[in-house]
Amino acid sequence: MSSALGIINFAGRHIWVEGLQSYRPLGALSFLGRYRMVDFPISNMSNSGIDQIQVYVRRCPRSLVEHLGTGRHYNINSKRGKLNILFSEKGVENNVYNTDITAYIENMRVIERVPRDYVVIAPSYMVYTMNFDTMLENHIESGADISLLYHSVDNAKEAFLNCHVLELNRQKGVLSIEPNHGNAKNRNIFMDTYVMKKDLFIELVEKAKKLSSMYTLSDIINAECCELDIRGVAHKGYFAAITNFESYFNANMSLIDLKTARSLFDPSWPIYTRTNDSSPTQYFDGSSVKQSVVSNGCLIEGTVENSVIGRGCVVKKGAVVRNSVILSGTVIGKDVHVENQVVDKEAHLIHGKELVAPADNPGYIRRGDTL
Amino acid sequence: MKQNSMLAMILAGGRGSRLHELTNKVAKPAVSYGGKYRIIDFPLSNCANSGIDVVGVLTQYESILLNSYVAAGRRWGLDARDSGVYVLPPREKADANLDVYRGTADAISQNIDFIDSYSPEYLLILSGDHIYKMNYAKMLAYHKECDADATIAVIEVPMKEASRFGIMNTDETGRIVEFEEKPPVPKSNLASMGIYIFNWKALRKLLLADMKDPNSNHDFGKDVIPTMLNEGKRLFAYKFKGYWKDVGTIDSLWEANMDLLDKNNELDLHDRSWNIYTEDVPTLPQYVGPDADISRAFITQGCVIEGEVKNSVLFTGATVAPGAKVIDSVLMPGVSVEEGAVVQRALVADNVKIGRNAVVGDPKSEHIELVSKRVKGVE
Repeated sequence: MSSALGIINFAGRHIWVEGLQSYRPLGALSFLGRYRMVDFPISNMSNSGIDQIQVYVRRCPRSLVEHLGTGRHYNINSKRGKLNILFSEKGVENNVYNTDITAYIENMRVIERVPRDYVVIAPSYMVYTMNFDTMLENHIESGADISLLYHSVDNAKEAFLNCHVLELNRQKGVLSIEPNHGNAKNRNIFMDTYVMKKDLFIELVEKAKKLSSMYTLSDIINAECCELDIRGVAHKGYFAAITNFESYFNANMSLIDLKTARSLFDPSWPIYTRTNDSSPTQYFDGSSVKQSVVSNGCLIEGTVENSVIGRGCVVKKGAVVRNSVILSGTVIGKDVHVENQVVDKEAHLIHGKELVAPADNPGYIRRGDTL
Repeated sequence: MKQNSMLAMILAGGRGSRLHELTNKVAKPAVSYGGKYRIIDFPLSNCANSGIDVVGVLTQYESILLNSYVAAGRRWGLDARDSGVYVLPPREKADANLDVYRGTADAISQNIDFIDSYSPEYLLILSGDHIYKMNYAKMLAYHKECDADATIAVIEVPMKEASRFGIMNTDETGRIVEFEEKPPVPKSNLASMGIYIFNWKALRKLLLADMKDPNSNHDFGKDVIPTMLNEGKRLFAYKFKGYWKDVGTIDSLWEANMDLLDKNNELDLHDRSWNIYTEDVPTLPQYVGPDADISRAFITQGCVIEGEVKNSVLFTGATVAPGAKVIDSVLMPGVSVEEGAVVQRALVADNVKIGRNAVVGDPKSEHIELVSKRVKGVE
């Protein structure tokens, strides 16, 4: 059992995945066919022995609540452990003030009463695996006040533009948390993941509220960089930040490659999700499927290449799906050609036969649309 | 639902010895089927979908895996306050010696105390090793409508095969007038599916008498049903239409899997109005490689397909390496077929590895080859 309370934070206002996010919070967004984004941080916590987990929701709670349920499927003991879904009522009224700090303040009693000395905070919009138990152990040993997780990248000019970067000194001390302005290739992308004592966390949240109504947790920690001993911890392995439509598409595409997928999925570190009780996928005569990730419950008669197919999709005879991410329950009709698209849940692509977007600018088809 | 008018008991003690090595370590109801299921998922899901809340599972042969598997009643949604799946192996009692279940009826007799604790009006007896989808609520409605003492589900089988089954001869109202176990010259083609509904109080009396009868085999087909017929009780046949398979042999288990490949197969596992529930295994989604070639196949999550798969069923976590071929075959959970290997007309048992360039099975063989041990590669 871990000595930390796990907190899954929501994506801030600077992050918006066009199209998809109108219908659900990022945590509930389908990822790689069978997962939802939030499965990754919760599984990381569960595998690290954290059994008290709070998931914060900023908006549209329905799909997330439905997916999380009691949290049983995340392997959390249903008596000793707990998965709480929390959101800030006041924040909903005014989006500008709807920060993580507002949500923490409103739920402070729930945070205070959890009998854990530390907090591990992770975001719902990033995909990575991390042993938080090791991170917590190292944090305690280091004597630092706060540990922040980062990933060194060499493409910060064109990607991770809505993320923050950590400025570090040679001893991995954090000098500042700044927005990524895209002016350098090599950057330490901040993974919005924090480890600290719960008392310090509460203190910082209260301080932030006094300083500014628009402050976020990373704002207040940035302001405290000179006062506190804050250290960066380097993350190795697969990392994706879903901060806009393009990064969502690219992250899905990157995991079609089995080698890349194996750098994320480790059999000893399972990623849990809610079962959908769908049957295995059926391939019919004449189907042709290559280089793709296919979820259960699909009926495939046509051609699928370099794509992610969600649960319960139908690809009819003569249909071609290429370089696309198809969310669950979608029907691709006879002879329909879909290329470079993200097709949201339960769309019916039947009448228009050519749905081809340019490779460098993938298209989006709305949830439940009939085309 | 706070009402246990019908309680179900699943007979899951059989070994299924004609399945050879597949049932060395597990009972037949725990054998894998259809990519992600075990056979016992079918009666359990049917119970859950029919609104039956309490299910007893009678286990005996190699029951460890089966016990732990069915004990997690929430897989089938049977975990509400008044609901549950209970594993009932033979046990020692204050007034009786520890005794194995001597027959299907004895398995129920030895658990009269369990059944009494729910005081059900009706008792549904099921077999744990049949593959089918059935709404038992409809069968109960028929049982009530006929004012029956017992109702037995039957299925029409081809007349020439009828002598392999327990055959029910009925009058024009559907009332059973005669029961013949494997008759050489069958008079009808209505085969018993081993699914019975009894009025519990009356059955209880019969079972108590049967327990003491030294000449009885303590079997429903051989003893209980004939006794009831002799006593002039009202027994009715409930005609079931749809897919039903008793997978007794490797050939028939293979066939039942192959049936799923038909476009309009009767079992229709894709029908979301009658889900079959099973264990939820955390695995990767299914990965299809750049040179894969798949047609007519039933493949589940956790599989990695980099070679050719034709006319085959692949279970959780099966892998087919580049250049490997799997044709007319069934790969059980965790099977790996390595580069260049060829598997044809075979059923490969759980976690078996087929080495590089090895060849197993024969496209012209009459029977399906069961591969239950590691096959070494050929360099």
